[in-house]
Amino acid sequence: MLTGIQFDSLSEFFAMGGYAFNVWSVYALFAIFLVANLALPLRRRKLILRGQKRRLTVRGADAERAGKHGDKAGWEVSLAAEGAGEEQ
Amino acid sequence: MAGRWQWFHRLGSPKWFYEKTTRWLPWLIGAMALLLAVGIVWALLFLPPDYQQGHTSRILVVHVAVAGASLSFFPLMAVAGTVTLVWRIKLADMVAKNAAPLGAWFTFLTLATGSIWGSVSWGTWWEWTDSRLVSMLFQFFLLLGVISLRTAIESAETAARACALLSIVGCINVVIIKYSVAWWNTLHQPPSPISMEVGSPNGPEFWVATAIMIVGVYLFLAVSLILATRNEILERENKAQWVRELALRSR
Repeated sequence: MLTGIQFDSLSEFFAMGGYAFNVWSVYALFAIFLVANLALPLRRRKLILRGQKRRLTVRGADAERAGKHGDKAGWEVSLAAEGAGEEQ
Repeated sequence: MAGRWQWFHRLGSPKWFYEKTTRWLPWLIGAMALLLAVGIVWALLFLPPDYQQGHTSRILVVHVAVAGASLSFFPLMAVAGTVTLVWRIKLADMVAKNAAPLGAWFTFLTLATGSIWGSVSWGTWWEWTDSRLVSMLFQFFLLLGVISLRTAIESAETAARACALLSIVGCINVVIIKYSVAWWNTLHQPPSPISMEVGSPNGPEFWVATAIMIVGVYLFLAVSLILATRNEILERENKAQWVRELALRSR
């Protein structure tokens, strides 16, 4: 079934029997397709979490500045405040 | 209600889905990377050139795998849509919403790779009278339709229901794509029967490579859809305690 590598040299491999454009453009598109659909959601996840964290910590910092919460860190305050009205 | 159906609603809980997929993802990604790597190396280096197509048969390994997987989007969106319509489970709609753009990617790649292959083997990039080509192009436009329907309707709930309905209707086109080569084909060949004989048109040196690529591509579909759905969960559930804790723990 597998009879070894089908090319004798690297240049032969790149040439693809005269169909270099067809074969390599398909594999290039395939590579872009794979990378894009994994990298884009991962990047978006990072942005979502960063934005969420910033919102929470800024809110906490505001409370801290108001001096209402003793020596608690800003994010602890925000988490406690946000969590108070939760259904969970 | 409780008891017998509990598993169903737990399955529909975004938090449950998020936690489960956190554990599954490393395995799915590992298997996906392995199968895609084997499939690509086999197709590019080890596949013997076809006696008619020469080296362009290497294109078909990718084309067949992606094309096959692209047909699963409308059935998937229809099932998720039905769950949305009947049980109003939020998670099902999150999956359906993110499946549409991914399906458009799959369908576009199917059309592009098929066209690049056809330019050599058929001597033409496109043929308007071929039903397989045209019905596949129609699927691409249907998916763009589902995507724009989602953004066009202001109420999220109405948009979800409209998309669910369009997805269910869109399944008819999948049947047409599937049988188009048998009903009225002009250019696109029907699938070649699998053969156990090396050197025959669809011998094991070709179909085993393709089978590996198919499983790899389906795993990729699953991984990408799971990643996108998890993002959707983080956004829609951003008021939930567990999402907040996750965000605060993140770097």
